[in-house]
Amino acid sequence: MWRDLGLAVLVLLSAAVESNSTSPPGKPVLLSCRSPEKETFTCWWEPGSDGGLPTTYRLYYERERLEGVHECPDYWSAGSNSCFFNKTHTLIWVDYYLTVVASNALGNATSDIFKMDVMEIMKPNVPENVTLLVVETEDSPYLHIRWEHPRNTDTESGWVTIKYELRIKQEKNNKWKEYMSGTQSHFSLYSIAPGGVYTVQVRCKLDHGSWSEWTNSTNVKVPNYVQNERSFWILVATLSAIPFMAAMCILIVKRENVKQCVLPPVPGPKIRGVDFHLLMSGQSEDSTNALIINQNFPLIVGWKDQMEEYLIVTENDIGPPSDASHCQKRKKSLIIPAGFCSDWEIQCKSTHIQNDCAGGTKNETGNFPKNNKSLSGESLSYMEPSKLQKQQCLGQNFVNTEATDPSPLNYDNAVKPFTNSGYVDIRKHVENTQEVNVKQVDYSRVEDVNGDNVFILNNKNLAFNSSGYMDFQRQEEKLSEDYSRVKEVGSNNVVVLQIQDMSADTKNPHATGAHKMGVCTELINSEYIDTIPAPPLM
Amino acid sequence: SWSLFFLVSVVWVVLVCLLFCSRLLSVGAAPICTNAQAGCHALSLANLFDRVIQHSARMHGISNDLHSEFEQYFLPSKNQIGRVSRNCHTSTIFTPNGKENAQRMARQELTEVILKLLVAWRDPLWHFHQSIAHHHDFNNFSANKALEMSDMVHELRKGVEKVAEKMQMMGIISNSVSSLASPEALLPSDSAEWRLMKDYDLLYCFRRDSNKVQNYLKILKCRIVPEHGC
Repeated sequence: MWRDLGLAVLVLLSAAVESNSTSPPGKPVLLSCRSPEKETFTCWWEPGSDGGLPTTYRLYYERERLEGVHECPDYWSAGSNSCFFNKTHTLIWVDYYLTVVASNALGNATSDIFKMDVMEIMKPNVPENVTLLVVETEDSPYLHIRWEHPRNTDTESGWVTIKYELRIKQEKNNKWKEYMSGTQSHFSLYSIAPGGVYTVQVRCKLDHGSWSEWTNSTNVKVPNYVQNERSFWILVATLSAIPFMAAMCILIVKRENVKQCVLPPVPGPKIRGVDFHLLMSGQSEDSTNALIINQNFPLIVGWKDQMEEYLIVTENDIGPPSDASHCQKRKKSLIIPAGFCSDWEIQCKSTHIQNDCAGGTKNETGNFPKNNKSLSGESLSYMEPSKLQKQQCLGQNFVNTEATDPSPLNYDNAVKPFTNSGYVDIRKHVENTQEVNVKQVDYSRVEDVNGDNVFILNNKNLAFNSSGYMDFQRQEEKLSEDYSRVKEVGSNNVVVLQIQDMSADTKNPHATGAHKMGVCTELINSEYIDTIPAPPLM
Repeated sequence: SWSLFFLVSVVWVVLVCLLFCSRLLSVGAAPICTNAQAGCHALSLANLFDRVIQHSARMHGISNDLHSEFEQYFLPSKNQIGRVSRNCHTSTIFTPNGKENAQRMARQELTEVILKLLVAWRDPLWHFHQSIAHHHDFNNFSANKALEMSDMVHELRKGVEKVAEKMQMMGIISNSVSSLASPEALLPSDSAEWRLMKDYDLLYCFRRDSNKVQNYLKILKCRIVPEHGC
């Protein structure tokens, strides 16, 4: 009994000495299992604390459709703390229940049950022999990448389907670009930069399993063979840039001209015979006059060359004018603003009293009043020119503001014979003085000639006395020596006048043509024009 | 110019429509058959195999997705199970579980196995879809997938039957496969074992079986017509 007690004390002592560092093992943990080719698989576990004693680990498994508990067939092929199941022990599509038991002298520890199916744990090895090749074609080089399937996988029998993925990085940036390669074990990368260094990695997976690890990086450098071409193009670009810059400079310097050429100024609306500025700034009457004039007188071009006949109208039987020889048609330029003439001409023609110089004036006179009456309903502006075919003054525009005045104006003996001039005198005798007072006839004077036969009218009413007569005589005497007949109109506001000896007219108190002359004299710029001495036409 | 533009666009639209219609008509014109008789469109065996393999791959993918969804929401942890003896109703069908076993198996047998599996899953999947559609716990996405899966099993079975027909015609396999004309009689599906299975187990089993089908088809193809893709 004493001996037993002694032994027990010894054991307790030894146990006490060792009790600090020994214990039953800790619980191991099964980490994972992996099958690289769907034919074998390996499982790894993590041991717990070993309790200071040598601990052994055993793996036990149970399997669906297999009776009993079995132990791991191979602890060593896959390294420490692992269990390798070879082909005979591996079944697909069955569940395995694994446990690891750690045991040492003091006890055991069992891990949790790890359930797995080989179908779920597939993860292949990395692909092998990754090779890069720069293929230099004519147009552009490309990178051809090849690799092989991992050694142990059987891809030919259809047992596994392997899929590849690769990633490529250029040396400069740190970003990988990933590409799927499907089941092919090669890949071509186009549009690579010459002189660049490319890094390639490949990985694969089986069926629906996990991806393998990436292979080690493989590098390749693309040669710089396009340099010659590039320098050539640089030269071409530089040479062509110089004329381009020159052209730009010229364009910029001459941008006004370019603008004129490319974007011509759009002409504003213009009415012939009207100065827009005048319209804007002038009086309203002026503008209305201008507009009316323009309305009534459409354009005629080349009026200059028109032949003109004198209409000689005499009241009494004076006989044909002495200058019958002058009845021949004369080329004369009727200095009438182009816009004014056509109606006159029409009227002239229509009311063409026998212009037959040899004919009796009686006829003329007889016809004249008739024609007068026939024209009575028309505007005065029409009538007057018909009698004033020999109107030679510029700007003789007898604009009647009541152009449509239907009231007939009676003429009494409006025609006075001229012997030395072809002017027909019209005296307007208006019976209805009231009318006259109310409706004043506005005669406008040409104030300015602008451009082609555009006359700017100066709307100044000539002095009318109540009787309607124009005060001619005064002006006539004053201006008789300045009475000129325009011979010709030049191109740029050049009016060639002829000096006429109008002294013969002075005896005719009704040389009312003078009033027109008076207007005449107030021609361009309101200046008297020196007439050119010339033999009188008549 | 507007009328011209309109006319041109109308003509263009008409041409495009005609083109599409002709394509549609030409595609749907003749059904696929294994022999070039009776006005049907005959495909090569390799082509047929490719089609069924792709079909089975897609079916397996869907079953995988559904299983993951279920696992996430309805099964707390797979390690907790212990020794749950999951008994799929198809476990009575003998299926090769390894590469050598599968390669050693005769083509005819392998084809039969495939067909048996596909037939066995037709009803369970249909009922699975019904149960999912009625439970409002599941979103429409899952219900659609279940329906698609169920349809696919049906289609795949017909496809594999055509493959078998063609193989018979070509003399690759003997005529005994045609005895599967009414395979339901041989199978336990009418024993309604599957009705006892829970939804999760059903999905688990089907995921496995669809993988088997895909694999067996690939093995068959690479053995019989190994031209491309092996």
